[in-house]
Amino acid sequence: MIRSNNGYFGEFGGRFVPEILLPALTELEELFFELRDDPAFWQEYLTLTQEFSGRPTPLTPLRRLSEQLGGAQIWLKREDLNHSGAHKINNVLGQGLLVQRMGKKRVIAETGAGQHGLATAIMSAKLGLDATIYMGADDIERQYSNVFWMRQLGANVVGVETGSRTLKEALDEALRDWAASVETTHYVLGTACGPAPFPELVSYFQSVISQEIKQQSMTQIGKLPDEVVACVGGGSNAMGAFSAFLDDSEVKLVGIEAGGLSLEDGQHSVRLLKGTGEPGIAQGYKTLFLQNDDGQLGETHSIAAGLDYVGVSPILAHLSQTGRVTPDSSSDTEVTDAFQLLMKTEGIIPAMESAHALAGGFKRAKTMNKNQHMVINLSGRGDKDIFNIARAFPQRDWTEFLQREAERSTDQINAHLATELAG
Amino acid sequence: MFPKQNDALQVMSHAVIGFPNLAENEKAIDGLVAAGVNLIELQVPFSDPVADGHTLANACYDALKQGGSVQATLDLAEKVCANHPDVNFILMSYLNPLYRYGLQALFDKAAAVGIKGLIIPDWPVEEVEPWLPTFDDLDLSPIMMVTPNTPAKRVERIVNASRGMVYVVSRMGVTGHETEWGEAFEAYLKNIRVYTDLPLAVGFGVRSSDDLNAITGKAEVAAFCSKYIEWQRHDGSDIAAEKMKTMIGEMKH
Repeated sequence: MIRSNNGYFGEFGGRFVPEILLPALTELEELFFELRDDPAFWQEYLTLTQEFSGRPTPLTPLRRLSEQLGGAQIWLKREDLNHSGAHKINNVLGQGLLVQRMGKKRVIAETGAGQHGLATAIMSAKLGLDATIYMGADDIERQYSNVFWMRQLGANVVGVETGSRTLKEALDEALRDWAASVETTHYVLGTACGPAPFPELVSYFQSVISQEIKQQSMTQIGKLPDEVVACVGGGSNAMGAFSAFLDDSEVKLVGIEAGGLSLEDGQHSVRLLKGTGEPGIAQGYKTLFLQNDDGQLGETHSIAAGLDYVGVSPILAHLSQTGRVTPDSSSDTEVTDAFQLLMKTEGIIPAMESAHALAGGFKRAKTMNKNQHMVINLSGRGDKDIFNIARAFPQRDWTEFLQREAERSTDQINAHLATELAG
Repeated sequence: MFPKQNDALQVMSHAVIGFPNLAENEKAIDGLVAAGVNLIELQVPFSDPVADGHTLANACYDALKQGGSVQATLDLAEKVCANHPDVNFILMSYLNPLYRYGLQALFDKAAAVGIKGLIIPDWPVEEVEPWLPTFDDLDLSPIMMVTPNTPAKRVERIVNASRGMVYVVSRMGVTGHETEWGEAFEAYLKNIRVYTDLPLAVGFGVRSSDDLNAITGKAEVAAFCSKYIEWQRHDGSDIAAEKMKTMIGEMKH
């Protein structure tokens, strides 16, 4: 596992927050440092993920697709098969154990695609905690099915209307809530970003992914994979997929960012490639941010709400600077192509976020030989994207169904209101 | 000059550079000075102001659309510092815009145009300490923040790094909401005075004459910022300055 140097990874990381948040971060760090080397704590965490989230998740060979592409043998790490449908639950269950130890009764979280919010709502229901989830108003529109489930699970979902109304603003708003509530509330940060100790702490819990990949590769392939590929939004699934391989220099680690529409300002969420992100200090930490010359954080775009973020894990910023992680990007159209290809060739529906890793991975796999093996981290499943996918591949029968469903739903609400009035 | 311990309460107020627009900033500052304000924060607008409530955050978003920036702040500072040599202008900014400008260059420039102090809410004391010799050379005062949940040992460290005055965050949360000024608040101030002779500037939740009167005799400075920006937004800078003048006139001494 990677260890920070007093919260820093090379020049990145640190803890740049208003003074009011310092005591809570220190408390969390002390608890985390006390527990992380305790094998009993790790076992407690593993047992929880096994009992509740179906771990270990499988390593699935893509036989038909690999044959069709004619390059490396491709394997998928099936984080989509987690309870809640994405890797986000790993981190949340781990932080749930910390919340119980701290004795806090309320949690808050920011969410982009809604997977982290959903995972937090699930954990809160399970542990009997109050949950408030901050989500950009635009992301709410993009991922309404997750909002629906968060509310059904009892979480309070707050739409954030400021700025570009996506993940960046949701994080700002969660920090504002925390400044007022820090003594009784834990902030369940969802990715390997933010002030220390979060990047390290989130990577620690997510590292269960690469520990399993390692074991499964030895059993199923008979050796370590040649490449591990993951999409990079904030960076938690990538850190999860890479962590256990950092010292295995023969394993190439590739992070795929959201290339969006183009590499013009505001049309993508690429931060690790040259000429995109620049060193900056905001949202509690130092990393490569998309920003202008005045240090104002920039606008981002991605077809995948979960990758639509202006900063990136300080650990990945560091590892891409040292060359250990190779950054690459996939455009929106490459992503929808890869999405369809996986679905139709292998019968697996990927999340739009994860389809970035597929697009980047497939492109690389073609240039590799048949004796080589690539593991792609399928960080989440695509059910949540049904409305986006339907928009990307328009079909009249779906639109007509939505119209009928809207009418039925309206009739039902009206009837319900009429009964209430009569009563 | 910054006030001294036990001086009568002074009001510190605020400008967000670019809000409502760059031309009006200078006029608004003239109005504040005429109203009797001798301490004025010049806030560099930022895209992600996490310590600010919605009043100042929205002023930041609007200011950015009007061309507010580090450079615009320094340009304005140069004018207002020259026009009002008896007023202490304090540069308030989140760290990133200053970091992008270049910290050393920024501090040199700020001192050169006549800025007296710095308030940087997301720059913790550990990161500030290595810069103290630079600040002392430039006669630029880092005004550090203490909060109600800061442990005593850390209060000591923060006030030791502070120059000019100590910014006392009155309560938990962000700017722009009300505060209770009870015995707990007095005890909180007393605990800070154990470690420092610097004057205390109380901020967060100073929104009315009643608040000012409650702080009178307990601290030397009251930061009256979000409410003033609300006045500016709703009534314009002229009426905001009149209201400020009336309020300062009503202060107990």
